[in-house]
Amino acid sequence: MKAPPFEYVRATSVEEACALLGQYGDGAKVLAGGQNLVPMMAFRLLHPSWLIDINEIPALKFVAVETDVVRMGACARQCDIQRDDAIAARAPLLRQALSFVGHAQTRNRGTVGGSLAHADPSAELPLVAQVLGASLVLRAASSTRTLPASSFFSGPMMTELRPDECLEQIHWPVWRDRKTGSSFNEISRRHGDFAIVAAAAQIAVDDDDRCTRAAFGVGGAGPMPVAFPDLAQRLVGCRLGEDELDDVAWDAAAALEPDSDIHATAAYRRHLAGVLVTRVLQSAYEAAKAVP
Amino acid sequence: MGHAASPSGFRYIGAKRRTKEDPRFVTGRGRYAADVALPGLKHVALVASPHASARIVSIRTDAARALRGIHYVLTGEEFCATTDSLPIGVDAPKVRRWSLAHERVRYAGEWVAAVVADSRALAEDAAELVEVEYEPLPPILDPEQAMVDGSPLVHPAYGSNVILHRNFVWGPVDDQFAAADHQLEFRAVWSRSATVPIETFAVVGQWNPGTEILDIWASIQMPKFPDQTANALRLPGNAVRVHYDIDVGGSYGVKRGLKHTVLVGYLAKRLGMPVRLVEDRLENMRGGDMHGPDRLFDMKVAFDRDGTIRALKIRAVDNVGAYAGRAPFQLGKPVSAICGPYLIPAIAYEPVAVLTNKTPQEAVRGFGQAPTNFALERTMDRVAQFLNMDRVALRKTNLIRKEQFPYTIPSGSTYDSGDYHTVLDKALAAIDYPALQRRRDAARQAGRLAGIGIATCLEPSGGNSAFEPLLNSKNQTTTWMDSCLVRVDLSGSITGIMGTSSSGQGHETLVSTVIGEILERDPMDIRVVHADSLNALPSNSPVGSRMAIMLGGAAAGAARKIKDALIAIAAHNFECAKEDIAYRDGNASLKGVPEKVLTWGQLVEIAHRKFHAMPPDIEPGLQAKFVWEVPTGGGLPTPDGRIQIYPCYAFEAHIVYVEIDPATAAPTIKQYICGHDCGVMINPDIVHGMTYGGIAHGIGAALYEKFTYDDNGQLTSGTFMDYLIPSALEVPPIRIVDHCTPSPLTTFGQKGSGEAGYLGAPAAVANAVNDALALLGVELNELPLSHLAIFETLCKTTLNKRAPNKRPT
Repeated sequence: MKAPPFEYVRATSVEEACALLGQYGDGAKVLAGGQNLVPMMAFRLLHPSWLIDINEIPALKFVAVETDVVRMGACARQCDIQRDDAIAARAPLLRQALSFVGHAQTRNRGTVGGSLAHADPSAELPLVAQVLGASLVLRAASSTRTLPASSFFSGPMMTELRPDECLEQIHWPVWRDRKTGSSFNEISRRHGDFAIVAAAAQIAVDDDDRCTRAAFGVGGAGPMPVAFPDLAQRLVGCRLGEDELDDVAWDAAAALEPDSDIHATAAYRRHLAGVLVTRVLQSAYEAAKAVP
Repeated sequence: MGHAASPSGFRYIGAKRRTKEDPRFVTGRGRYAADVALPGLKHVALVASPHASARIVSIRTDAARALRGIHYVLTGEEFCATTDSLPIGVDAPKVRRWSLAHERVRYAGEWVAAVVADSRALAEDAAELVEVEYEPLPPILDPEQAMVDGSPLVHPAYGSNVILHRNFVWGPVDDQFAAADHQLEFRAVWSRSATVPIETFAVVGQWNPGTEILDIWASIQMPKFPDQTANALRLPGNAVRVHYDIDVGGSYGVKRGLKHTVLVGYLAKRLGMPVRLVEDRLENMRGGDMHGPDRLFDMKVAFDRDGTIRALKIRAVDNVGAYAGRAPFQLGKPVSAICGPYLIPAIAYEPVAVLTNKTPQEAVRGFGQAPTNFALERTMDRVAQFLNMDRVALRKTNLIRKEQFPYTIPSGSTYDSGDYHTVLDKALAAIDYPALQRRRDAARQAGRLAGIGIATCLEPSGGNSAFEPLLNSKNQTTTWMDSCLVRVDLSGSITGIMGTSSSGQGHETLVSTVIGEILERDPMDIRVVHADSLNALPSNSPVGSRMAIMLGGAAAGAARKIKDALIAIAAHNFECAKEDIAYRDGNASLKGVPEKVLTWGQLVEIAHRKFHAMPPDIEPGLQAKFVWEVPTGGGLPTPDGRIQIYPCYAFEAHIVYVEIDPATAAPTIKQYICGHDCGVMINPDIVHGMTYGGIAHGIGAALYEKFTYDDNGQLTSGTFMDYLIPSALEVPPIRIVDHCTPSPLTTFGQKGSGEAGYLGAPAAVANAVNDALALLGVELNELPLSHLAIFETLCKTTLNKRAPNKRPT
């Protein structure tokens, strides 16, 4: 469990990191928190010839909480985002999800951008990105482009990042609806493991408790986490009773195509998706109603 | 530091006192095998078989050898020709094993070649360049299939996959079955798990051509390790020096790295360089040969309508994997407590050990007793359920009563002492059993699945491996001694010297406490060291829950000799009889004349310096050794297979409350209590620590841990992402209720406790989950009771089927 030989360089600016990526392309990997990359190298599952360390680039660690959006650099630490009350007030799903991400020790080092770029189908932050419709800013030496999360993820551990691109920023939309609630839940064998299935939801209601806006999604039950915007739309305009929530949740579950592994069969994953979506929708709705 | 006084008339024994070794560990000052940094140390990496079964067609090592910094690539062809195969416990000499495979691989992960390099990373680089051509063969993984004629043979030269098969009948089993009101049968399955210490196996070897001694530093826990290493390397026993002062970072049985050590010893001698092998996690999990029992039980029980158990028929089939060292003996230790704590007059036991293309097993905590206890306790619950009888009442009907001790069970072992009813009652009272039942019933009313589990189990202790002659008539080993040397130096300081390594059991605290108790000197001032194997008195190492009894007894015996010598010196100088000497706090005075006293310092000085003041029959200096055979040990089995195995029997009564989310199938342990009686506790904190850890380990076996294999024989849970050990977040607060029934056989009344908790927790948790499932008319008798297993069991019920059109389960 020792990594094969590689070259290491610590970039001091985004420009330098992108230039290095342009130079080494396919053979290079960006090192952020290293919580997935380093073990995979130790297992010799990855053989990068260059590691480009972005941990000392201040521009990748900023956090900006604005009225309509929370913006952060890709190298913002998970622990810092989890502790940030301003973020929790605007995009509460992030804190809710982060409490399920690994353990305190891994969150101290792990980054938001690293988790998104790693794109584990069971990981929590990619699911939140799908549900909230986050935008990801991808930077290359001579170009910058922005992708919505729905276009960023392309498969298990796969994204649309090109070999010469570095994930630079993540923009999390803020819902300005006064009565907004959110909820994250997952089932794993043990706390801190990758989820067998995870679900996240955010709901806004009017003063009559009618749903005005809804978003939800499921992770761990397919090649990538998915949001269900069309099904969520069915909730809008209703007071959400058990039947409405149940219907939407089990339609979502039926649309999933999960895999089997030693911890869960496809049938169990689909079942858990139905249960968990029902629960997060219910709990997000209750939270929204409870806002004064 | 404050020391609470001992409750039982002892000065130090049983008192709540700080341990001696823990400060070193919690401040990071332990010294482990991987800390041994020798000049010029070289590092080993291994080439492992990707196939579960294959013929090795060729091995090409030139590309690996061509890398800079590579010193050697060793293959089985050279190694097997120049070393002897490793010992095997049962009588199957054609099942041969070396550290490296030769001509054939028998499990995925088996070592095929070893690379020696300047660094471990370089060695791994070179290992990737070793080209092995295999001709894959069909693997056999299922033990019942492996027993069928015509199945692929793991060792064709042996001619069968069944390496051990016995039929024991103790008592009138058939008569009891015929006379009983009822009988029932079922299968219980204990899946392959282990202890998985954070420290993998590590060994450093250095050959000195001047002294012709091979020095070994290893994270070892096993008896006869230096002898077996020397034998395999064709060296005399006194050419191998094992340094037992190395801290071992966890074991509970699995640190038996004989194959690692023989390999490293061979390379160190062959190359003339110090060589180190530290397994990485995958090597440890896949090829470290540290898996535990993998066992199915076919249980038949005969009982009357009042709950009296009349007889048991137990068939236990264990999948021991591709090779067999001591592992099949794990079917033998349970003979020592085959009826558990119950009055069962007749038992048939059919142990079968089967070879397959899985990783070989090694000893794991309890040595087969925890699986057996699980099967016994599931049996008790099924009988209670059949009779619609309270499970506590059923157990109380069948538990051996206090006044029946010493009690000889059908298989020949005599239980030393116990008060099982009282311990169970204390546990029930401590958890407020009626309130717990109300809590469970209220949870059920609220729609949750809830269950209470009870298990009453034994921990055989004292490490007497009399199952060896029982299961192998060519093996007549009946000696399982342990020893201690106690020295008092000229300064008056006391040193206790033990002859084996420790893997977290607190032996330094044990030995110092016992010596302090006898000599009435403060244990904190008594040093305890580990001799190397060329200096050591004989030890059989901390196996089979034996050290409190055996090392504690040996230390006490040696300390008593010191005390006797001090009294003799005083009597000689006071010209009185030894009986007239009063010994107190290390000083010796003439009884009734307190001013006539020789202090500890004066006595020590006489012993070391003043030969003229010594009595004629006492050796000068002040040291004493004591070598002790296991109490009740030394016997061979009768022709019908009755044998006294372990001397002492500790008892534990577990009560656990579990809730299961009916929608997600996720189980949560809400309450846990363990009543425990291991006789006199030498150090209660150490006993409680062992028990907490044992329960956590048992929760792992019950709910989480399993070495899973796919159909091709590939281990699919070789990392901690998939082999799940419970963390602090999965283990609930645990309350332990102590009780003390002293053993009449041991020095202070102590019994063993190294396996405490683990021997009953899996059974208790399984019974709790099944109590929750019973209302739905389903049961689950295969560990671990994973989320998925519980879900699939719930799918057999009407639960979760409210909207079948939308729930495609």
